[in-house]
Amino acid sequence: MTELGDEGVQILAISPDPNERSQELAQKLRAPYRFLTDGDLAVTRRYGLLHAHGGHKGQDVARPTTVVIDRRGIVRWLQLADSIQIRPDPTDVARAVRQLGS
Amino acid sequence: MIRYWPALLSVLLSLSAIAGYYVFLRVPAVRNHPALYLVAFAIAAVIAGAATWHAARWPNFVALGLSAVLLILGGYFNFVLARVPATPTVLRVGEPAPGFTLPDAAGAPVSLASFRERVPVVLVFYRGYW
Repeated sequence: MTELGDEGVQILAISPDPNERSQELAQKLRAPYRFLTDGDLAVTRRYGLLHAHGGHKGQDVARPTTVVIDRRGIVRWLQLADSIQIRPDPTDVARAVRQLGS
Repeated sequence: MIRYWPALLSVLLSLSAIAGYYVFLRVPAVRNHPALYLVAFAIAAVIAGAATWHAARWPNFVALGLSAVLLILGGYFNFVLARVPATPTVLRVGEPAPGFTLPDAAGAPVSLASFRERVPVVLVFYRGYW
């Protein structure tokens, strides 16, 4: 999602993983990602995005979801996955961010 | 060998659908239409099936078997394994996102509220366990 690099936006990537390696990778790619660890999936559960036993070893995982939140903390764009094969098109996310205005 | 061009075409179509899936994994317009590989496997199976009907020889059977197996496995992956069930999300466009504080990769706490009035935020929930 490097298309978002110049948009003046903070990307927070959330998973149960400890994310040291992901963060190193993001720095190498200069992608404006911060990786947050939701170790017990408490936030994922509170957001209603828990896919119970959805991991490849039957672990609980998050339903892949992308949320654009404006400066006032309001959800302005949302995509929830119905299939693990599908991810949002970064140009759609970038467009949603641009439409927020400044 | 030239007699078996439909079988060869069928196998090449199946293999290029698999290769294409990986090659275009980073192209959203292709990646987000995963049923395309099932269409390719189905066409490959029809070609091989017609060839087998025409001449019951082993290259045609091989092509038919390969495309049929790929169609079944691909269909099982696409329609069963890859499905994500609907979840009772609390997120609604136009409503506030629930606040949270989570540790970043260095262990420092990051709260959603800290970006308020500063920058928009894109939250990406992903499955992890890479």
